[in-house]
Amino acid sequence: MIETRGLAVTYGGRCALQPLDLRIPAGESVAVVGRNGSGKSSLLRALSGLERAARGEVILHARSCEHHRNSIEIAYIPQRSAARWELPFAVADVVAAGVRRAWWRRRGPSDRAAVAAALSAVGLDGMDTRPVTELSGGQAQRVLIARALVQQPNLVIMDEPFAGLDTATVQAVTELLESFVADGNSVCCALHELDIARSTFSRTVALTDGLIVDDGPSSKVLDVAGVERIFTTKALA
Amino acid sequence: MNWWAWVVEPLQYDFMKRAAIATVAVCVASPMCGVWALSRRLVYFTDAMSHGILAGIAGAAIVGGSLLLGGLLAAVTMALFVSFLIVRARAPEDGAIGVVGQGLFALGVMGISLQREPRALTHILFGNPLTVSATDVVVNTTLSAVVVVSILTMQPVLLATTFDPAHARTVGIRVGLVDATLMVTLSLTVVAALATVGALMAITLIIAPAVTARMLGRSLHHMIAISVGCGLVSGIAGLLISYHAGLPTGPTVALVAVAQVGLAAAWVRPAGAMRRTLVHDRNEQARL
Repeated sequence: MIETRGLAVTYGGRCALQPLDLRIPAGESVAVVGRNGSGKSSLLRALSGLERAARGEVILHARSCEHHRNSIEIAYIPQRSAARWELPFAVADVVAAGVRRAWWRRRGPSDRAAVAAALSAVGLDGMDTRPVTELSGGQAQRVLIARALVQQPNLVIMDEPFAGLDTATVQAVTELLESFVADGNSVCCALHELDIARSTFSRTVALTDGLIVDDGPSSKVLDVAGVERIFTTKALA
Repeated sequence: MNWWAWVVEPLQYDFMKRAAIATVAVCVASPMCGVWALSRRLVYFTDAMSHGILAGIAGAAIVGGSLLLGGLLAAVTMALFVSFLIVRARAPEDGAIGVVGQGLFALGVMGISLQREPRALTHILFGNPLTVSATDVVVNTTLSAVVVVSILTMQPVLLATTFDPAHARTVGIRVGLVDATLMVTLSLTVVAALATVGALMAITLIIAPAVTARMLGRSLHHMIAISVGCGLVSGIAGLLISYHAGLPTGPTVALVAVAQVGLAAAWVRPAGAMRRTLVHDRNEQARL
């Protein structure tokens, strides 16, 4: 469904992602793991169309797209801390930001129904008028997932969605992702929680210094030897 | 004199009627724009713009053109130039604003120094209801209407790009264009406020009601309603107080707006503590 060919990302001459090939077919959940600065976020941002490829290309449905930000099939959920949770916006307004519409078009009944359905799917029924300032970390993460679901995407890309969540909320979020994947969609998620990667994601891609050092079934990539290899060794240039 | 006469008596004069209409229009538009300026951390930009438009005003005075038009040209030029520096040249935001704003301000001071009667421009800097003409009323209300319609139309994209600009980009919103449009809208607001509160006090009418609203409001709609209410109270009360006490209008309006922030700050601490307790209790109940 989505793949990269020789994709490289650089920031001011510093190579954040070395040329890599990656393919994420429909119905697969992929965990991206690695140390801080290993290139996880750069990979996700490049897949989402937020970073231009310094080299290589991102291919969606066999069609090369240098900058496919207009693809409604991909929903990107940045790190929770990237959003302005201190502003008292209503939950429904934040979720509605996922609805693609022209500037001048007001939110119609169908948009409101889509927002209500997305909130219901993440278990936040009746919280549409609640200001986001009053949400817990888990509720905030669910709001971001609802905002992604309202796009009706085929691929959800998430950057560290489990950071700072308690066990019950992690369980709720993983169940949401599993049901999304069970419907034939894909998830690509950067995370540090290796136990969640093992239990929830069918495949794990390990990055070190912007290079894929391992790619395969999560149980294999994240076994004891694999974890040691990913987190203690340098990538071979 | 009873309070009704205190309010109505000034309105028997045509110049006060014109000033009141222009002030009400500006006091609706400015706070609405201010809510977004504050939320998007554009307070410094607004401040710099209120100084930067001096270049256009001085230029218009030199060539004998419309001061409002001159101010508008300088404001829009500043908005577009700052946007260009930030979006295209990737200059740091506060640096771009500082350089362009202070550059235009320096030009303005130079232009004013070339005037035979620099004091003739004082009303543009601090506002004076005596100088509000019928044309000013039409220009002010038109500019204010444009600002209100723009802000209401852009509200969904403003919310999306303010809350999470990275996500907004992925759903096809051109964040740089939204930023530029908001800056141009802010420039229209500053120019609309020229005749009534003056260039240097415009920022207070834009930002202070928004700060009050931010402290008291629990949602975007609350914030907009509170800020417009505070703006109207500041404008009308400031106009009347300045008339009766013989004070300059712009600073009086600004001080009323600042006083509201003080009152809100005094109120919000006990109210905030109570609300946090209620939210905590509700979260605890949900957890159980």
